[in-house]
Formats: sequence, structure tokens, C-alpha cells
Amino acid sequence: MKTLTIDPITRLEGHGKIEIFLTDEGEVDNVYFQVPELRGFEKFCEGRPVEELPSIVTKICGVCPGCHHMASGKAVDAVFGVEPPPTAKKLRELFYMAHFVHSHIAHFYALAAPDFVVGPNASPAERNILGVINKVGIEIGTEVIKQRRIAQEIQALLGGHQTHVVMNIPGGVKKGLTEEERDDIVKKAEGFIEFSKFSIKLFKDVVLGNKDYVDLILNGPYSLKLHSMGLVDQNNKVNFYDGNVRVVDTEGKELYLYSPKEYMDYVEERVEPWTYLKFPYLKKIGWKGFVDGQDSGVYQATPLSRLNAADGMTTAVAQQEYEYMFSTLGGKPVHATLAMHWARLVELIYAAEHCYELATDPDITGKELRAPIDKIVGEGVGIVEAQRGTLTHHYWTDDRGMVRKVNLIVGTTNNHAAICMSLKKAAQGLIKKGIPATEGTLNMIEMAFRAYDPCFSCATHSLPGQMRMIVNFYNSKGDLIRTIGR
Amino acid sequence: MQDEKILILGIGNDILKDDGIGPRLVKDLQKETFPEGICFKTSSMGGLEILELIREYNTVLILDAIKTKEGIPGDVYYFNPEDFHETMHLSNLHDVNFITALELAKKIKLSIPETIHIIAIEIVEDLEFGRSLSPELEEKYPEILERVHDYLYSKLFPVEG
Repeated sequence: MKTLTIDPITRLEGHGKIEIFLTDEGEVDNVYFQVPELRGFEKFCEGRPVEELPSIVTKICGVCPGCHHMASGKAVDAVFGVEPPPTAKKLRELFYMAHFVHSHIAHFYALAAPDFVVGPNASPAERNILGVINKVGIEIGTEVIKQRRIAQEIQALLGGHQTHVVMNIPGGVKKGLTEEERDDIVKKAEGFIEFSKFSIKLFKDVVLGNKDYVDLILNGPYSLKLHSMGLVDQNNKVNFYDGNVRVVDTEGKELYLYSPKEYMDYVEERVEPWTYLKFPYLKKIGWKGFVDGQDSGVYQATPLSRLNAADGMTTAVAQQEYEYMFSTLGGKPVHATLAMHWARLVELIYAAEHCYELATDPDITGKELRAPIDKIVGEGVGIVEAQRGTLTHHYWTDDRGMVRKVNLIVGTTNNHAAICMSLKKAAQGLIKKGIPATEGTLNMIEMAFRAYDPCFSCATHSLPGQMRMIVNFYNSKGDLIRTIGR
Repeated sequence: MQDEKILILGIGNDILKDDGIGPRLVKDLQKETFPEGICFKTSSMGGLEILELIREYNTVLILDAIKTKEGIPGDVYYFNPEDFHETMHLSNLHDVNFITALELAKKIKLSIPETIHIIAIEIVEDLEFGRSLSPELEEKYPEILERVHDYLYSKLFPVEG
């Protein structure tokens, strides 16, 4: 048995390690993906007033602080048994749409586009955002930075700070929006819509216009038949902030539709001895191992899963793009891992359009920002869709509202089993007997992983000393026989 | 020097033990008396966000944590973009690393500081939540603060003649 190690994973938050075990014949036997876990968050929270958690949780992760703030705010509402008034809810959602715009733009241009615009086999020195700009033009780079900044400005305005958000308080929000501020956001949202339309056109031109890429997406070693999870509104349309969790099976048929507080009846977490990070699975089906197919308990919670799990989008252009994507890829549900990039752009359009809808909603400048608090229920669950998957915060408090226990299932953790399986499938499809793995091969294995936009900074924070990928080959005795590095 | 806009930026997570050394140093430096024109900021973000934080300044001094293979906790390293080593937050792998971000800024003609100093402090623990530093680092903290302070003065306010 030989071991092939990829460490660290490039262009992703957190320090992960992919271990590929080869047979003596040089074929892939198994793949393990490991990340170190942050410790002690629950302990850090215990004994604190629960209303402090929405601000504290923004520090769990430097990538999706807004998502934790929103899930936490909703969990705290539930602890106090209170529902925010319409204005407060819409302000939270407006903040959240800006958060999605900012994050999805960053992912597409910095992480996804290099593999397609520059090419999966291009030199790593060029396969980055600079390479993308060299190909598509400097003005696009300027626009990426500008739109990203504008989205941050909206978050800072509504959230008090773009990353250390202090917006949510029990039953509402701290601060309202003036007419002037609203008018400014409307203009900014118009810019988001234009830029998101441009981005999806770029994807279509570059990716769909290239037969090899379409073939890679549809027929490459990148598909897994798994169940899909996502938050939906009362009409089963995609909703990032609120609603019920819907799970559809591998054929697209509804398996479950449940409210956030019921999540423990539907999702359970498995522990494996070789990693600290847990593996959530569908409880009613049970854990059947790292297998795909209709009988598997493994699910995905990604942009593509959200679109699979819903009946459509609530905004016009996003709905058109949703229909176009599914018709192009052969109908719902789609199981092609690399199509997550496309789904993310459909979501970008939705976030931009919904940002505009909310900013032009008369309620958004309302003065009723908070519902009165008159009780402590003592337990609350908040679920939102984070960019990287369904995010659950569950808090228990004593009768004074002091935290007793905290449980989080973060976006990427939902996809942990699926990520391991995607890596194995890609490695098995790309590493061939007798053919040495090249840098390009390793990048194409990473592409399976990168599609999930995984972020392990909720689970890990330690970053490697150097930005490089090293592949070590070991013989069956564990001796290092060859190293490929960049 | 008086017209210069100088930023001292501490990056790290202040509830993740040693990861918060940069922000803690900034908070302590802020208590001292400095010539006018110096701004102090803290952040836990890396990648493209750094560009937003530094773009309006002429000179920036970044304080971050670092973990090297055989480093001694509390060791202080000095870099500039030319001899840059990836530090904890400047190597944010979620979007782009610091050097790529700077190159991007130059390419799109975004204003960035003419001078960038990076100070990185070798840390021990950044995988456990907590507001305190690890004992090894806490013990050396006064010395680290002094070294950072001296470096800051020597680079930003050199004695003329």
C-alpha cells in the first residue's frame, strides 16, 4: 500500500489534509480527508447570557460571520419565544442578501473561475484570480472588488460592522434604516443585479461554450447521487433566511419537510475514529456508510442541493436561470458536483434581486424594530442557509437565559461525507495505474472538493505555513519514495 | 511624516487564544502616545478584505500570528511583501493570499500603501477558544510588546541624522 498526501489544500480556509491510499498496482484504494477541530466553543459559551451569542458567534468564522449571526439571532428569538416584527425580519434578510452577494462573488472569481477561465491544467502560478483577470479584462477585476466592497458597506450599515456584526437582538434588530440609506441601497442592489447577470453570462460563455468543460461537468468523475437538503418558503421556493427544511431524494421526490425545531428527528451525526469532524446523515434512513444512491443516508446541503430541494426561485431572472440550468443539465435533480458553481451563480442573481426587492419594500424603513420580550422558553433552534449549506444553531438556557448548552451543525459539516466521497470518486477516476499523478491531476481532484466551497474555519482555524501543495508517495512500509510539490 | 497616513493593523481572532496576539498588541500599543496621523485597527479577516482595510494609508504595519515548523513561541519575525512568509491571516486560503491581493490591487490600480511592514509572532495554541494567551506566550508578552514597539518606532519614526 502506498500513501499519497495532499497537504495543505490550496485556496481554502482552514488546514485540511487529503490522504489517498494507493494499491501496490498504483490505483486508488481509499481516500481520507481530515481537518483539525477547534475546541471549546461550547465551554466558551456556557454561563454567558444567551443574547450575547449572536455577537460572539461572528468570531467563530472569518468567512461566514453573517450566517452565524443570523442563525444565532433566530435561535435566541426562539429561546425567548418571540417573533421579530416584519421590518426587523426584512432588515435581517436585507443584510443577509448582501452577505450572499459578497461571498458568492468572492467564491466565483477567486476560487471557481481560475479552474475554468484559466484552465484546470494551467500552471498554478496563473490559475488564480490574476489569471482570470488577465483573460477577461482588468475592468472585471475592478468590478469584483467594487461590488464586493459595496456588499460589505451594506452589511456594515445594517450590521454595525461588516464582520463583527451586532445587528440582531432578541426579537428584532438594533437599528432601522432611513429613507436616504434605503435609496442608496436600492442603487447598489441595481448594480448587484447587473453584475450577477454578467457573471452568469461569463460562466455560460466560458464553460458552456467549451465542449470539454461541459463533458467534464456531466461525464467527469464528479457526480454523486445523494439526497438534497435546503431551506424553503411556504411555496417550497428557495429561501436563505427562513422557512422549513426540505429534503428530496436522489430522484427529486420529497422525503421530508420539517421545521427547524424538529431537526434532531431528521439529522443525526456520526463519529468516525479517523477524524474529529462529525458526519451528519439522515436519521430515518440511517448511516449506511460512504455510499451514494437512493438507500444511502448521506445528503448534500450545497447551492445545488438547495436548488434541487426547492420548486424554484421567487425572483424573475433567478427563476429563468434556474429553469435554464436544469433543462441544460437534463432535468432535476442534478448530481454533477461541478454544477454547484452554476447553482451558486443562480443564487447570486437571486440574492441580488431579493436585495432590491427588500430595499424597495415599504416595510424596510418601518420603525417597529423589536418585539417585546416577556418570557424565557429556555431552548431555541435557528436554521438559515449559509453559503456552504444549512446552518443550525441550537441553544439551551436556564430560566434566567444563561447558556447551558450549545450545539451547532455548520454548513460544510453537512457535506463532510459527500466531500470525502467526491474526493474518492475524483481520485479513482483521475489516478490511473502506471501513470504518474501530475500537478494538473491533483488540481482536478481538488476541484471536486473546491466545488463545495468548503470552509472549515468553524472547525479549524490553523493555516499552514506555506501556500503549497505537496504530494508524498510512500511505499507499503511507509517510506517516502517520491514528492511532488508546487 | 506628518502628512503620512499610517495604519497599525492587528489581525487575528481575539477569542481564539494565541490567534488574538495581533489585536491584543494593537490594543496595548494604542494606549501609548504616538505622533498624530497613526490609526489603529483590528480585524480577523484576510484575503481581499485586507485591501479594504489598508487602501487609504501610505504606510501599514501588520501584526499577525504565525506557526512555523520549528519556531519558538514568542519569536518575532519581520517581513515585507518582498520576503513574505505566509502568516495566519494573510494566508487566508478562502479567497486569495496577501501577495495575490496586492498584485490584484496593483493590476486594477487600486491605491495601496507604498510601504508595508509585517510583524509575525510565533504562537502555540490557536485551536481552542479562550480570551487568554497560552502560558508560554503570556510570559513573553511584555518582551514581545517591547520589541514590536521598538520596531515600530525604528521603521515609522527613524531618528534623523
